[in-house]
Parts: sequence; structure tokens; C-alpha cells
Amino acid sequence: MKRRTLLKAAGAAAAIGLTQRLYAFPNKPATVRWWYHFDDPKASPDGLIAEFEKANPTIRIHAQSIPWGGGSDYDTRLYTALIANHGPDTAMVKLRNLPQLVEMEVLLPIDQYLDGWPGKSDISDAIWKLHVAADGKHYYLPLQYITTYLYLRQDWFQKEGLQTPKTLSDFLTAARALTGTDRWGFGLRGDSGGVDFWCTFVIGGGAEFLKGELSTPAALAANQWYIDLYRKNKVCPPSSPTDGFLQTINNMKAGRTAMTIHHIGSANQLTQELGDSITAVPVPCGPAGKAWSTYGDGSNAIFANCVNPEAAWRWISYLSSAPANVAFNKLAGQMTVTTSGAKDWNLHPKRFVDATTQSLASARTLPLVEQTADFVRTVWPQTNQEELLGQAAPDDAMRKFEQIFFP
Amino acid sequence: MNKRTTPWLLLAPALLIAGLYVLFPVAQALSMSLHYVNLFHPRTRPFVGLTNYLNALSDPVFWRSLFNSFIWVFGSVSMQFLLGFGAALLLNRSFAWRGVARALVIVPWALPSVIIGLIWTWMLDFNLGIVNALGTRLGLISSPIAWLSRPDTAMVAVMLAVVWQGFPFFAVTLLAGLQGIPAELYEAASLDGASTAGKFWHVTLPGLASVIATALLLRMIWVANSLDLILVMTGGGPGTATLTLPLHAMLTAWSGGNYGKGSALAVILTLILLGGMIFSLLGKRKQ
Repeated sequence: MKRRTLLKAAGAAAAIGLTQRLYAFPNKPATVRWWYHFDDPKASPDGLIAEFEKANPTIRIHAQSIPWGGGSDYDTRLYTALIANHGPDTAMVKLRNLPQLVEMEVLLPIDQYLDGWPGKSDISDAIWKLHVAADGKHYYLPLQYITTYLYLRQDWFQKEGLQTPKTLSDFLTAARALTGTDRWGFGLRGDSGGVDFWCTFVIGGGAEFLKGELSTPAALAANQWYIDLYRKNKVCPPSSPTDGFLQTINNMKAGRTAMTIHHIGSANQLTQELGDSITAVPVPCGPAGKAWSTYGDGSNAIFANCVNPEAAWRWISYLSSAPANVAFNKLAGQMTVTTSGAKDWNLHPKRFVDATTQSLASARTLPLVEQTADFVRTVWPQTNQEELLGQAAPDDAMRKFEQIFFP
Repeated sequence: MNKRTTPWLLLAPALLIAGLYVLFPVAQALSMSLHYVNLFHPRTRPFVGLTNYLNALSDPVFWRSLFNSFIWVFGSVSMQFLLGFGAALLLNRSFAWRGVARALVIVPWALPSVIIGLIWTWMLDFNLGIVNALGTRLGLISSPIAWLSRPDTAMVAVMLAVVWQGFPFFAVTLLAGLQGIPAELYEAASLDGASTAGKFWHVTLPGLASVIATALLLRMIWVANSLDLILVMTGGGPGTATLTLPLHAMLTAWSGGNYGKGSALAVILTLILLGGMIFSLLGKRKQ
């Protein structure tokens, strides 16, 4: 046999083997080990699992809740488990993990499954676009999503005769007007999660995650404007450099701040405290009409070491199909990815759902490159805090970020 | 069995456990520090010699974290010692409810560091914290202070929390030491006309010297290694104002995925602590 023929035959055999592995789901019992996380530790997917197992009697779901620890604990546990070959068959993942997991070669592409999946058309194109890996393949099946928006105290806006801010200029005018004794116009988040705030003002304000575009005059001006919110205009609480999620949300609840940025995940607790006084709108646009809303996903991925990928696919595709996806997101407190499920969504007040869906137009993610994880967790918080405290020059910080992403 | 092998056989289980749980991780850390070990590139692990050490030493954050570590260790341990010593002297005296006081003093030591970190974070919170609320109402401060967000107060704030957590260790240890000093020595000193200060200086302190030295050494090692309290309260911030060497190592490895450099930082910390310990033990031997 010629070498080329032999290679072809081997390739065909491997392809058949792979196809059989993907599609020929045996009726023998299979166990799928699934890692997940809910913000509310009391929430449990047991009901969904029972329903799935009833419909798929040969598949058992072994679900394991993994502590979140701000995201980094979950991520690192997942990475180390996969490297040690003790990882789950499938797990909830975030887009920010994608470059690392692709680099680690631990993901199984799901394009073959997606092509024949009826639930695909029930997830909007805007979401699918964000879920394509750099190599053009799909590894993640969308499960839930959020987009960041601007919370504001509409009662205070009305009292001061202010309009909902549509531009950064409107935003600053409102923040100044609403700042007074023991009250600040904007609750800025300086800890690691605050990178979403920074992107809103700096990327939305004129910078871009492209080579040379983080240090253009417009980019530097946008960053300076953002730092000046705290340093010059003093429209943020003095504790902002280290404020995290709890502080920014509690300050809103306590009536200490008039605006902040977060997503629908906190809508119910804020409404419970503030009633109709609180509302949400898409984040304001920068001078060039550009806006940045952070797209936060929750997806499921199947790992390359999965013993029975077909069974894993059945489980994750079940979770991403309405109505199971609606039930799942009622537990998770985030938005369903299904268009049909979103129509009758009643978990959150409509104004927050509207702000979320309207923000999809400007929804983006941080660059899907391996530097992003360390940038978000360590580099950005340290540098940003130093800028806010006057220990680092904002222009130097931007050049440092440029160097990190485009060495 | 002969006289030479029996001791080794008896020691074997302990040596085996020590080897597994102490020597193996140490050897692994040493090995990782000499390799490029990055969580995001698990299939490559080239030997890089001292590159990780050179990278660590040429990073200004390393020197800042080292400086912070010295402040953190010497500042907080000395305050813990003084407070603990005072508490021990007080608890050594007779007074009503002394038993209850002795039991209560151990409470901060018994609490997990994460809980202590959360308690103090909320106590020191700028907007809702009790420290600012009491301070402004009592007129001690004119306006609330962002204790954990200012570089000039953040380190003091986290040290305050660790002092509260750690002083009971000194209180209990030194109290045990105080009770071991024979009462006859104090009686003899009194007969010789020694004042209270004289008795403290010439009887109490020499009587406690070895206990103090051991307690200080242990506590310094523990505090130098600890990172949980800072991680919970400030995460090393604002900026790098409270970033200590173990926290820097942990963030480099755990958050950054760079286990090679993280291990190099951990080895450097170990060498510094080892040097300090040898210096201390040599000093003790000379005495």
C-alpha cells in the first residue's frame, strides 16, 4: 500500500471512529460528571437532573457544586483538575476561560452536534457571534447571559430634573449634580470586577483592544477622564479604589450612591430595598458614539477526556433548551439564552430585562487571549488602584496595558 | 534486630510521613521554580534554570512585597506581643471572674482568619462600618475614613485585625510561663527590697525569656507565612500597599497561572525565614 493511501485509510478510520464516538450513543448506562456554580448556594439543580434522568434513563448526572471564589477559585480548580486528568466530563465555563482551555487542548468542539440541534435557532445570533473561538470553532454551548448596564436612582434624577445619561458628558453632569454630603453620584468599583467599569468608560470612551489603540491620544484622554471621576470630580466614594461588588451594591441600597454599573443578577435585591426608585438603562456612549457593555456568559463545555461525549451533549443541550433553560436561570438568577423563554420572562422586573436586552447591541467581551485572566485578576486592579490613588500616572498605565496585550 | 537498625525502624513511619508531606512538596516546589510551569501551557515544562528567580528579583513588585512583609511581620508581631504580655500579666492577678476572662481572651485566636477578615472589613467599611460611625459620633474623626482604600491606612488596618487575632496566643503562652515562675523568687526579691518594676525586670523577664523567644519565633513564622487575612480584607491593595511576599507568590501562581515564578517566590520566602530562624537559634545557643 502506498504511503498516501495508507494515510488516507488511517484518516478515514480515525474519522469514522470519532464520528461513532460522537454520534453512536450506546444504550448502556453512562454517568456524566458535571461541575456547576450558582451564586445562591441554596439553589440546587436536583429537579432538573431528575427530569432529565427520567427522560434519559440510561444517563446519570453526577453534579458537583464548585465554590466560586470570585471566579478565580472555580477557574483554577477546573484547570488543575483537567491537567491532572481528574476533571469533569462537562462543566459550566465562561468566555474568559476559552483561550486558556483551547491552549490547554482540553475542549471538545461541539460544531458537529450544533449542526443538527433544533435548539440552535432559539438562541440569538448576537449571542452565537460572541461564542466563536479564535480558530472559528464552537466549544461552548450558551446557557445564560448578562450584560452590564447602568443602575440609577430615578427618584433623585426626577428631583434634580436630570435626564437619563446617554453620553459620558451627560453622565458626568448627572454624577456631579447628585453628589452631596454623604452622597456620591457614582459608585465606582476598584477591585478586580471593576474592569467592567473601566471598559465602559475607557474602551467606550475611545480606546480599543487593538495594537496601538490603547495608547492613542483619545485612549489616554478616556482613561484620564475615568480616573478624574474619582480624583478631580470627586463623584465617587473615597473607598472606591478597593470597593467590590458588595460595597457598590450596598452603597446603592443604603442611598449613598446614585448610579453604579452591574447586571440583572442584582436587580431583585436592589428592587427589594429601593422599590421603584431604582431603574436601569444601557451604559452611556463615548464621544465617538461607541459604548461598552460587558457580556457575561455562562456556558457549558464538554472536555476532551469525556468518556461519553454524546451523553454529555444530551445533558448540556437539555439545559440550553427552553423550558429547562428558563428553569435553570430562575435558579441562577441570570437571563435565559433562549428567545422563546425570554418572551415570558418574569423573574426580574421588566425594566431590568429591557436594559439587559438593549445592551446586547453594545455587548462585548475582553480579548479572548491568554493574558486576559492575569490582567483582570492582578494587573488591572493593582494598576488601577495606584492610578486612583495618584501613585501611578494614567498615561503610563495605559502604555503598560498596551504592552501586556501587544508585547 | 540489632541496636543500629531498631531506632531507624521505629522512626521509619514518622520519617515516611515527613518525607511524603514535607520533603516531597518542598522538592516539587524547588523543581517547579527551576522550570517554566504555566497552567495555560500544561504540555510544556522546559528547564529554565534561575530565570524565574531573576524575573522575580527584577520585578519592583517583589521588592515592594518584601518591604511590606517586614512591616507586616515586625509591626504586627511586636504589637501582638506587647498586648499579649499585658493581658498575661493582668490575667495572672487575682480578680473576680478571672476564669471567664481567661476563657474569653482565647476567642479571637479560635476564630478562622477568613471570618476575622470579613468582620474587620465590615467594621472598617467606609460607608457602613462601625469604626467610622463611632469615630464621627464621638468626635474622634471629623469625617469617615476609607481605612482599607488609602495606602497610608490600609496596612495599619490589616495589622489591627491580625493583632486582635494573634495577641491571645501570646497572652496564653506567657500566662503559662508566668505561672511557672516560683513564687519564692518574688518573695526573695521583696525581702531584698526590690520594687514592682525591679521584680518585673529581674525576676519576671528572665523567667519568661525562653518562653518569649520561642513564642516570638513561632508567631513570626506564622505571620510571615499567612496571607488569608490580607487576601480577604484588601487582596494586597490598594495597589500593592498591603501586598506581602506570600500573597504575591500565591497570586502569581494561583491567579496568574505562573507556578514556576510563584514557586521561586515561595522558595525565596522560605530561605528568608530559614535564615531568620537560624540566626535566632544561634543567638539563643550563645546565650
